[in-house]
Amino acid sequence: MIVRVLIADDDPLIRDVLRDVLDDEPDLEVVAVAADAREAVELAGRHSPAVVVLDVRMPFGGGSHAAAQILRRAPGTRILAFSAYSDAGAVDDMRRAGVTDYLAKGVRNTELVAAVRRLAGG
Amino acid sequence: MHPDASRDNDLFRLLVQGVRDYAIFALDPGGHIVSWNAGAARIKGYAAEEIIGRHFSVFYPPEDVRSGKPEWELRTARAEGAIEDEGWRVRSDGTRFWANVIITALYDDSGELRGFGKVTRDMTERRRAEQQLTDRRRLLAHLVEAQERERQRIAWDVHDDTIQAMVAVDMRLQLLAGKLPAEHRATVDQLDGAVRASISRLRNLVFRVRPPGIERHGLRDSLAVYLADTSTAAEIRYALEREPGADAAITIFRICQEALTNVRKHARASSVLLELSTADRGFLVRVVDDGVGLPDLDPDAGHFGLIEMRERAESAGGWCTVLGRESGGTVVEFWLPDVRS
Ligand SMILES: Nc1ncnc2c1ncn2[C@@H]1O[C@H](COP(=O)(O)OP(=O)(O)OP(=O)(O)O)[C@@H](O)[C@H]1O
Ligand SMILES: [Mg+2]
Repeated sequence: MIVRVLIADDDPLIRDVLRDVLDDEPDLEVVAVAADAREAVELAGRHSPAVVVLDVRMPFGGGSHAAAQILRRAPGTRILAFSAYSDAGAVDDMRRAGVTDYLAKGVRNTELVAAVRRLAGG
Repeated sequence: MHPDASRDNDLFRLLVQGVRDYAIFALDPGGHIVSWNAGAARIKGYAAEEIIGRHFSVFYPPEDVRSGKPEWELRTARAEGAIEDEGWRVRSDGTRFWANVIITALYDDSGELRGFGKVTRDMTERRRAEQQLTDRRRLLAHLVEAQERERQRIAWDVHDDTIQAMVAVDMRLQLLAGKLPAEHRATVDQLDGAVRASISRLRNLVFRVRPPGIERHGLRDSLAVYLADTSTAAEIRYALEREPGADAAITIFRICQEALTNVRKHARASSVLLELSTADRGFLVRVVDDGVGLPDLDPDAGHFGLIEMRERAESAGGWCTVLGRESGGTVVEFWLPDVRS
């Protein structure tokens, strides 16, 4: 089964490479790419991804806001927070918003891919 | 007159005339100058023959003359015996100086007012020094604040832009390495390693220029993280009765950081103790090492760590001293007031 993934990050470089890394895996498919929190909510509504890889700090409310909105509409969505903002407070905010897992930017690609698979499977 | 008494009087007159640091002169009951000394000539700029007989209000700035201050001072001195005043006075060339003035009413044995004694000191230099000190303090406080703001900006820029871009490059390199034939893969893996090392160095830099989360995690944890990060083996004794406010916390953190940098760079210590306690309604902090101790310092040697520690403490209203310990090693001790109390 192919896992449908949505990516949301305000940094274009990260966005593009994230897509390529995940799309490179035969069992993952990036169905949409958002550049801010508002777009993330909108695209999640339209594409019903199984997993959302969400940046923490983004325009229009940030990752925690987007996570809460996405989960309100589609409670089954699994969300992976992916951020350089390795601040315990930011992680707490994300967890409170219902994020399933958290990865700090800078992890190996393999770890990231494994995390997405884990979320989709669990 | 008894010859001894007359000699004493002469001596006394010579003393008064010769004093150069004080203007000492006498006024008649109406306020006209009747004697003059060397100090008066130096401070006020008039020779005796120019000034004797004139009214002492010539020493006052026009606004004081208009408001009747000279006469008021004489009246007060007469009523109360003496009056002391600090204020601007005018020299013969019209320039002003900041004066400390004491006017004393002089009565003879029968109780009749004979005149006034006036002693004036030029306080301009002292006043300027005091003024400069506070201007300097203000400037320092401003600089420290500007520095923190600038550091925060740099930290965010590096954090948000540079590290972010390098993370993307790193991810891209990993992706690429997986697609390359084996002979090129090693090269790209090497590049990837270099990028990852740079990312980690930049993260350390960001942390050093702007320790995150003092506000969130408190001073103690931030210090502990810093120590762990710099692999300085130190014991922390944290006994503050109250958490310092944000400004004090940053100042404490920065001074500790500077002191610990010195321990690492210079002390060759086997242990460091970081002691924070509450004292005199403020925060007392000691950074104690058991290293080689302080050398005799050349104050002009271009070392700024110790200076910066002191400036930071003083501009926060506290103090900072650095001492060699008798048992060897060095103590940096500083205190900051808890301004909220
Ligand atoms: N804990 C210490 N143990 C031994 N020597 C010390 C210690 N702290 C400071 N010193 C001595 O005092 C000198 C002045 O320290 P200071 O922090 O002012 O300058 P610095 O460390 O040499 O340079 P920088 O301006 O980079 O801080 C040092 O060069 C060192 O010789
Ligand atoms: Mg130093």
